[in-house]
Amino acid sequence: MAEKNIKIVSFLCNWCSYGAADLAGVSRLEYPADIRVIRIPCSGRMSAKFILSALREGADAVWVSG
Amino acid sequence: MGNLLEHVGIEKERVHFSWISSAEATKFVDVVKKITEKVRALGPNKKLKKQYN
Amino acid sequence: MHTYTEKIQNLAKDVLKQGKAEMVIGFKQGTIPMAANPFVAKNENDADNLIWSSTCGLNLANYLPGIKKCEGKIGIIAKGCDSRNIVTHIVENKIDREKLYIIGLPCTGMVDKKQIALLFDDEITQFSEEGNTLIVKSETKEEKINKQEYLRSNCKTCTHRNPVIYDELVSDLVEEQIIEDQFADVKKIEAMSSEEKWDFFDKLTEDCIRCYACRNACPLCYCPTCFVDESGPQWVGKGQNTDDIKTFHYLRAYHCAGRCTDCGACEEACPMDIKVRNFTRKLNKDSLELFNWEAGLDISQRPPLDTYQPDDPDDFIM
Repeated sequence: MAEKNIKIVSFLCNWCSYGAADLAGVSRLEYPADIRVIRIPCSGRMSAKFILSALREGADAVWVSG
Repeated sequence: MGNLLEHVGIEKERVHFSWISSAEATKFVDVVKKITEKVRALGPNKKLKKQYN
Repeated sequence: MHTYTEKIQNLAKDVLKQGKAEMVIGFKQGTIPMAANPFVAKNENDADNLIWSSTCGLNLANYLPGIKKCEGKIGIIAKGCDSRNIVTHIVENKIDREKLYIIGLPCTGMVDKKQIALLFDDEITQFSEEGNTLIVKSETKEEKINKQEYLRSNCKTCTHRNPVIYDELVSDLVEEQIIEDQFADVKKIEAMSSEEKWDFFDKLTEDCIRCYACRNACPLCYCPTCFVDESGPQWVGKGQNTDDIKTFHYLRAYHCAGRCTDCGACEEACPMDIKVRNFTRKLNKDSLELFNWEAGLDISQRPPLDTYQPDDPDDFIM
């Protein structure tokens, strides 16, 4: 697995997916560690600038989740 | 934005959108796995990346 | 002289005299042939300078949000696309419908000046039109060309030549074009592979000098601070880096999603002849296919990106 080191920048809504991520942690579920989570106060805070910015700064993929 | 980026030549799998409720920890794990798999298959992104030199 | 010129002058004089509007935004002849400058007529004498020709390609709706001090109404000459941008301004609360006196102008298309200039080796010294024939002269030769063949590409596929909103019309409405495949150009790009697309847009934007003329000519771009000028954080680098150039074009286009009327002002203004509409066209196609939406047709309808419908497509957030 380690041969492909990728970074997925994830924008997670505080109230939805971030909560799910939290619950996943509390429930000790395992998931790939390639995501880098950025908490946003709401999916409405998301801006196209963030996606482009992430890609510009070296992200291999962007994931937006509400 | 996803559609536009695909149109200009950034692979579709590089931008993902999903909806997950705060109670759906298992769905969260599934989606992370799915996305990671797809992006791993694509390999690292070279387009648009800033060049530092 | 274009047949509309005299009518516009008379209408504008009438509007100004009767106080229906305090000013009339139109075009005046520029200092070189084939140049039409945006012009604000504030009294009857000014109105004599107003003209109309097939070179009035800029979008006058662009000037509306900038007008701060005007007690009375603002008169504006609007062809099909301008009127749709006026509707967009009204929908986006940039200006009140009551503040406007719109002189609608059924349009027969604008010409592609850069394409005409290519016919000549030297400078064009004279330009006139008679109906569908354009007479273009330079020091060395004279060409009579058919206007239909030298229309701008967005005018060729235009299906809203008549203004959608107006208080008065310059002439009778013209027949709308019926376009079989409006998005043939977009589909061609869509059929390419990712690498081909990337190279296509690389080639497209390689000449860009980052002058932002496309942004300034666009009636949709009225943000007090544009994202390219923001410095904390800086979203786009200021240099000539190809990725910076492309990032600018992506974001500029994306900000026009569901709002662009394909008026072609961006391409008209581009000094390097970059076909920047290739970016916005895709978004226009998407809004039509996903939301059955064309911008600026109705002042009572909210645009798809600021409303929610239960049957909205759900495979993207933005």
